[in-house]
Amino acid sequence: MRLRRPEPHTLAGAYAMDAVAGADRARFERHLARCQACALELRGLREATVGLAGAVAAEPPAAMIGQALAAAARTRQLPPVTSQATARRTRRGSRDGGARPAPVPGRAMLPRLALALAAVFLAAAAASGTVALHAEHRLGADQQGDQAVAQVLNAPDAVMLTARITAGGTATVVMSRRDRSVVFTTAGLPPMTGARCYQLWLMGPSGDRSAGMLPEPRQGMTSPVIASGLAAGDWVGLTVEPAGGSPRPTSTPILMLSLPT
Amino acid sequence: MGINDAAPRRGPGASVGQAADVGLEALLGGVARGDHAAFEAVCAWAGSTVFGVVRSVVRDPFQAQEVCQEVLLEVWRCASRFQPGKGSAMAWVTTIAHRRAIDRIRSEHRSAERQLRAVSHVVAYDEVAEMVESRLERERVRRCLGSLTELQRESVTLAYYGGYTFREVAGLLGVPEGTVKTRMRDGLIRLRDCLGAER
Repeated sequence: MRLRRPEPHTLAGAYAMDAVAGADRARFERHLARCQACALELRGLREATVGLAGAVAAEPPAAMIGQALAAAARTRQLPPVTSQATARRTRRGSRDGGARPAPVPGRAMLPRLALALAAVFLAAAAASGTVALHAEHRLGADQQGDQAVAQVLNAPDAVMLTARITAGGTATVVMSRRDRSVVFTTAGLPPMTGARCYQLWLMGPSGDRSAGMLPEPRQGMTSPVIASGLAAGDWVGLTVEPAGGSPRPTSTPILMLSLPT
Repeated sequence: MGINDAAPRRGPGASVGQAADVGLEALLGGVARGDHAAFEAVCAWAGSTVFGVVRSVVRDPFQAQEVCQEVLLEVWRCASRFQPGKGSAMAWVTTIAHRRAIDRIRSEHRSAERQLRAVSHVVAYDEVAEMVESRLERERVRRCLGSLTELQRESVTLAYYGGYTFREVAGLLGVPEGTVKTRMRDGLIRLRDCLGAER
């Protein structure tokens, strides 16, 4: 049996894939503005399309990124939506207790942002092949590691640093002096071939200390590695080492990042 | 030491503000504040996915590059509009990429070409195998696509990779529009659950 007027939200799947055009689209968007269940469902379906997108990922021509960066440098950005505008837009929705004004970017939303990040890291860690193989054994350790990561991200003195890696890609480091730790991730680092690996170091007056090997990149990024025992004057270094790692760096670092005091 | 050109940065209102800035989601926060290094990291992080999506929909390599640049520029311009509570950062970026690609092909309105594309997109599912960068990811998505019924899978791949509307997909498959609508929704739900379960 088909209803004469089908529930508009059966269109959520098509809409999530931009497969609704013209008047259909306008009608669904009107419905979406009133239907919180639809908005929630749409959010979940969009996450499924991320899988579809990831499945066709392909390295873009190098010049393309460069041109995008150049274009960004001469393009003005949109200001954030202010709380006033948001409140006006959602006033109707908030009456039934459902819709709340979106958080204003700024300090208020940071703890939640950090939590969301920790979730991203959890997903990234859980997605790596190693973890899948030894899931049961490693779960405890991973959870501890993720907690340590979350703690650094939430530290009141945490600072983010970004640097290019000479081998390609970008390193992002979050440092907390209070926790004497840095959290290290990369994006776009070339995958390591053969019996070699990327090894992370704290290097400084207290000597060169290994902070462990980077995991295999997944979707172009490595899940976070935490380096503890940060001492005054330390740099963060990354080298290429034989598989299994070395007690001391044996090659020229492909990243040397000085840390602010 | 001079090996890296990027110096440590502390943005205005640093400390906690910068703390969370790891991962694509938080990098977008940096982009919203006009941080070019964060934007570069976002491009490195999401560039291959954006390019893959756009290329699969637009097809023409030259146009795909153009659209990709539009997408990355939109990420730069609109980063302040990203709301972390409303879905993942990658979903936000890939949604922009897919929508821009769709806008490009729909604005073409060249029906002859679209007929040609119809033929080539019937094999979209198999192409997934060739276009994928990461084997693990490919296997995972392929396995999950494989768990869909044939009609669900065809509806999803024609819509997402082919860029067809649900009405067009219904025409291509010779199936009622209402059926295609529900198959797309059911297919994505199943895909979402499968991808979530395999993580």
